[in-house]
Amino acid sequence: MRRLFADRLVLTTGAIVILTSILFALSRVTG
Amino acid sequence: MQLLYSLRGAVWILVYLLFILAPLFALLAGSHPPARGFWTEFSVALGYSGLAMMGLQFGLTARFQYVTEPWGEDVIYHFHRQISLIAVGLVVVHPAILVVVQPQLLAPSNMLEAPLSAYFAFLSIFSVIALVVTALWRLALKIKYETWHLIHVVLAVLAITAGAVHMAGSGFYLVDPWKRSLWIGLVFFWIGLLLYVRIAKPLFMLRRPYIISEVRRERGDTMTLVMRPDRHPGFRFSPGQFGWLTLWGSPFKLTAHPFSFSSSAADADGRVEMTIRSLGDFTSKIDQVPTGKRVYLDGPYGAFTIGNPADMHVLIAGGIGVTPMMSMIRTLADRGDKRPVVLLYGVQDWDSITFREELEALKSRLSLTIVYVVAKPPADWTGERGFINADTFRRHLPPPYADHEYFICGPNVMMDAIEKALGEMNVPMSKYHSERYSFV
Repeated sequence: MRRLFADRLVLTTGAIVILTSILFALSRVTG
Repeated sequence: MQLLYSLRGAVWILVYLLFILAPLFALLAGSHPPARGFWTEFSVALGYSGLAMMGLQFGLTARFQYVTEPWGEDVIYHFHRQISLIAVGLVVVHPAILVVVQPQLLAPSNMLEAPLSAYFAFLSIFSVIALVVTALWRLALKIKYETWHLIHVVLAVLAITAGAVHMAGSGFYLVDPWKRSLWIGLVFFWIGLLLYVRIAKPLFMLRRPYIISEVRRERGDTMTLVMRPDRHPGFRFSPGQFGWLTLWGSPFKLTAHPFSFSSSAADADGRVEMTIRSLGDFTSKIDQVPTGKRVYLDGPYGAFTIGNPADMHVLIAGGIGVTPMMSMIRTLADRGDKRPVVLLYGVQDWDSITFREELEALKSRLSLTIVYVVAKPPADWTGERGFINADTFRRHLPPPYADHEYFICGPNVMMDAIEKALGEMNVPMSKYHSERYSFV
């Protein structure tokens, strides 16, 4: 179960990083 | 204690995210060149984030007790393996997007005139792909564990260094000296984490060696190593914790092996015991260890230890997974602790039950019930047979099941089955603790 939690944490971290990268790019192109 | 661990765990998740995302957002501060279109900027952000995630992998395996305690080392290593796939995905997608939006990058003339930093990008990507392939398919590729470990560290350092040179060489966002300093400092920090675990820790261990004082044969093709600190007081551990053992060679040797302590944590003289079953290249040579040999121990580690004294403790062991349970039982006996303990002990056959005689003797000193679950029982066996499952719990534990604390250690397949059974019996996750001994 702790491994399941770790798996979810991995997916959540990946999603946060990708969303943050989108935000980074948007903030750059929109000035 | 559980709440404190949860809070510490949450803080470390935030710190981890901060170390990945803050340096990225720092690039937006101050002055920067004009933007180059959404997909190019997105791709660059993925490259920076991927590099930061790869660098922090050194932190996950740096064996910081304070960081690993809320999770357990096995979960940290599981996270390390899984998150590496995300990091490598980001690093590979970064140039893939650039090539899609700027296909001219693949033109032969551009390839030939590519700046040096582009070649470092290739080297970094090649290294991370090789890292993943050798990690996922080590057994299929027939690479020995020790050889793989060396390849793994070399490729990781190569990937980070080449990635950092590519980043500094491209320089688009690192024109400001302070931004350049921040990212170069980060790279030094990541490499520093590696040096900590490979240089600083071994130096500490070198000054605190242990001497093998006894090698004891146990039931079930298993040996116990008794180790005494050599001219130092040793360390204190909690029953159920483990240490990294370097048996052959110096503490600077790349590969150490994790084993649970099997002795009582109440031993005041620093003596520790590890009980090791012959299961592979390293463990099959334990019976050749001479007494008087100098060895090195790094520890203690792990969050797998006895819980609330008011709760019944249900110890569920599969095979050699009994070693941390033995440490718990011996410690409780030495402390005169009479909390109710039930040991559910899954074994192959009656003759190979490690610690059988001592466990039976310890019943008189503890409130201890032992249930042997024998996979291949003798013909006249009247006890539990097969494997431990939810029915075993219902037959031997008093309800309500959610009031007890469960400790599980054994092969992965058994642990998955037990965790599933406990979930079906509505035992909350906070009530059970597990340690996977094959986590490396």
